[in-house]
Amino acid sequence: MLGFLRKNSSETALRLAESTLFAGLTPGELSTVEGLTHSRSYLAGEVIFDEGEQGQALYVVVTGEVLICHAGELDPPIARLGPGQFFGELALLDDAPRTAQARASLDSELAVLSRSDFERLMDSHARIASRVALQLARNISLRLRDMVQG
Amino acid sequence: MKRPAPSEYRAGPLVWVSIVVATCLVLFVFQKILWLVVPFLFALILYYGWLPLKLRLVLSGFSHDAAAALISLGSSVIVLLLAVLAVPWITAEAVNWQEYSSRYLDGGLNLLLSALKQLERRIPVFAQAHVSEEVAQQLSQFSDNFARDHLANAALTLAAWAPSVLLAPFLAFFMLRDGWRFHRFISQAVPNAFFERTLFLLDQIDRTARLYFVGLLQLTLLDTVCLAAGLWLLGVSSPLVLGLVTAVLAWVPYVGSIAGCLLVVLVAATDFPDAPQIAYGAIGLFLFVRLLDDFIFMPMTIGKSLNIHPLLSVLMIFVGGAVAGVAGLMLVLPVLGVAMVFGETLGLVITDPRLRARHRHAERLRQRVAAVDL
Repeated sequence: MLGFLRKNSSETALRLAESTLFAGLTPGELSTVEGLTHSRSYLAGEVIFDEGEQGQALYVVVTGEVLICHAGELDPPIARLGPGQFFGELALLDDAPRTAQARASLDSELAVLSRSDFERLMDSHARIASRVALQLARNISLRLRDMVQG
Repeated sequence: MKRPAPSEYRAGPLVWVSIVVATCLVLFVFQKILWLVVPFLFALILYYGWLPLKLRLVLSGFSHDAAAALISLGSSVIVLLLAVLAVPWITAEAVNWQEYSSRYLDGGLNLLLSALKQLERRIPVFAQAHVSEEVAQQLSQFSDNFARDHLANAALTLAAWAPSVLLAPFLAFFMLRDGWRFHRFISQAVPNAFFERTLFLLDQIDRTARLYFVGLLQLTLLDTVCLAAGLWLLGVSSPLVLGLVTAVLAWVPYVGSIAGCLLVVLVAATDFPDAPQIAYGAIGLFLFVRLLDDFIFMPMTIGKSLNIHPLLSVLMIFVGGAVAGVAGLMLVLPVLGVAMVFGETLGLVITDPRLRARHRHAERLRQRVAAVDL
């Protein structure tokens, strides 16, 4: 009932579907997430956030490329993230300052989910929360494996 | 390099002076547009009351517009139903209201005069000054002239204010429907370097206002329950209505509390004309609930939202009253709370050289891109 009032999937929601963080969400759930995200454009070389800053958001790369590095150590970077990948989630999970700098290496468009919206989503939407939590856990375990294997 | 987190930042004296000055300025401007501020205030209370439900609908897949429309429609239907149910009672009771008001006023006056006569019997100075006769004469003159001097003005003021108060539900609907768009509009206008701090600022302002208004509603409910229970135990008539009216009057600091106390005493004195101890009991109950309010309920509800030093709160209430009268008393704490969040965050952004350097770097990059083929 009242299905006609529900939202239709937008282009941004479809692009969010390609993100590993939101993999497995239904079009309606993606639309809900999209309603909470902000879209930001960064030029190549622009700093997105700095190491040591208090994190207030997590980012999903929609287009372009982002380098994760320690300040002043661009080569080699810690990670090179392309479309669909996400970053900045650690500061939201443990409430600690950013552990590295994020910098756009190409002109990039990012979807940004603020801390308050992320927490609201996790608190009030059980299905989205379980999917996102699973993807976050997978991402962290992948990084752990990479570290262990050198 | 670790920069100060928003929570670690402590505003300096300049920021605090700016916060206090900005609060006074806002109150001064508000006083000039009071006809808009009052419905806006009611709209904010409605908005923050409805917001959790709207967020629940949005998170379950409804669009913002549809969620706002559904909630507004639902609330309108409930209000209409209540109005339809209340109309027969109101029309039946309306004819008695004038009689009630004069009866309660007489009851209060009798209590006052009997208290003064008792004082005269115990204190000879009062008896020599004929205090009770003097007060009775002045009150009689005041009540004789009250209708002629004040009633017409009061009726006109009420008639002028009623339409603007009816704006509140409309304002609340548009706040619900477009508030998130405004939020985005503001954050989109902010340069990338300051974006995360702006998100934090907007979230904190929203959180402060939400906690304040939701806290105010919770406080009203707690006050109503306590006062109604106490008045019911004392045997005063209509304890729930009296408790609710008194709790709502307490929204205006000091002045509202005194008016609420007077109302309760009038009713108690009229219901029990030969037992003044019931009226004194009502005053005792009122003081007890005020103490509960100040030391237990307020810190549990509104206190959580506004992390303001108690001395500053009291001083600012006086300043608010001096700058903008009753409206200033009512608005000073939420305005100060929002000005504090705004001032502290702005202070944090302005005093962070790294953020400003990042902004200049981004500007240079944009200029280079804009001039690439010139």
